[in-house]
Amino acid sequence: MKAWFWRVVAVVVLLGFGIWIWTILFPGPERVIRKRLQELAKSASFGGNESPLAAFANAQRVAGFFTAEVEIKADVPGRSPQILSGRELLFQTVMHARSALGGLQADFYDISVVVAPDKKSAEANLTLKARAAGERDIIIQELKVWMNKAEGNWRIYRLETVKTLSLLRENVAQGSACGALRDTTAYD
Amino acid sequence: MEKDLETGSGPGWLQRVVIGRNPKRTALRIVVLSITCFVLFRYVLLPIRVEGVSMMPTYKERRPNFVNRLGYIFHEPRRGDVVTIRTSGYSIMYMKRVIGLPGETVAFHLGHAVIDGQVLEEPYIKYPCDWELPPRHLGANEYFFVGDNRSMPASDHYMGVATRHRIVGKVTL
Repeated sequence: MKAWFWRVVAVVVLLGFGIWIWTILFPGPERVIRKRLQELAKSASFGGNESPLAAFANAQRVAGFFTAEVEIKADVPGRSPQILSGRELLFQTVMHARSALGGLQADFYDISVVVAPDKKSAEANLTLKARAAGERDIIIQELKVWMNKAEGNWRIYRLETVKTLSLLRENVAQGSACGALRDTTAYD
Repeated sequence: MEKDLETGSGPGWLQRVVIGRNPKRTALRIVVLSITCFVLFRYVLLPIRVEGVSMMPTYKERRPNFVNRLGYIFHEPRRGDVVTIRTSGYSIMYMKRVIGLPGETVAFHLGHAVIDGQVLEEPYIKYPCDWELPPRHLGANEYFFVGDNRSMPASDHYMGVATRHRIVGKVTL
C-alpha cells in the first residue's frame, strides 16, 4: 500500500516536471508574446550614458518589435492625438526620443493576451509605467496592442492608447494622475 | 538533556522558540495563516501604496493603504467615496473620488463641481481652482471621478468617466 502510494507520488512529480520542461522548451504563443513585450519594455528603457552608436542599435532593436506597416495611435493626456505609421518613422521617433531624454525606465504591467484560434494573431492589454530621467511624475498609460506572426516572430502591427478615464467630449486635454500600485501603488 | 532543560539552552529551547512545542501544530498554523493572508490580501483587502499628488491633501504620497474589494457588494458606489479604478489589471490603479453617479450631468463652473445644475458641497477640497468644464451626461453604468487636489489646471489633472466594472473597491483608510 505504502509502496503503491509512493509510486503514484513519483509518477505525479515526474509528470509535473515533464510538463514544466515541455513549457520551457516549447512555450505557447501567449508566453512568447508576454516575453516579447517584456523585451520591448527593456529595449525601450535606456540610461543617460548611452552612446550614439548604442542609441542607433537600440532604436533599431525597438523598431524590430513592430511590423513594417505598424500603426500607432497615441491619445495621451495633455497632448493632441497623434498617429504614427510605419516602422521607419517609428525608428526615427525612437531615435529622437532617445536623444531628447536623459534616460527612460519603462515597464509593462498586467499583460493579458488573447491569441486568435489560428494562433497567427493576438491582442494584448497592458499598462505602461515609465519614468523619464529627471522627471518627478510617472507616466501611466494603458495600452492595447495587436500582434501577428511576421518575419518569423511576433510583431506589433497596431498599438493604441486606452483611456482609463475619459472625458468623451474633448473639453480639456487630460493630465496628471494620482494612483495606486499594488507592487503595489495607486496613482491619484 | 536535563542540563539543557535546567539552563534553558540547547536544541530544546531553540526548537520551542522557532517552531513551538508541537511542530505539527505550528506547521498547520503557518499553513492556515498563509492561506488566510493570501485570500485576505488578494481578494478582500488589497494593499496599495499611494503615488502622485492629485488626491492631496486627503491622501499623501507614499502612504500605504488598503482597498476593500467587498465594499460594493451590498450597495453601489456613492458620491464622495474614494475608490480605485483598475487599468489593465490590479498592479496599477488610479485613486479618485466619485463625484458623479449614473444618469447625472456633471460640470465644473468657477472651480465648483456642478451636479445636475446644483453646486456640489465638497468639504474635502482644500485647494480651490477655477476649472470650467461643460456639462457631461453620464450613462447608465458610468461614474465621474476626480482627485481632491485641484490646485493644478484642469488639463493637468487626470479625471473623467469610467464604467462600473473599472471600480476595484473602496479605499479604507
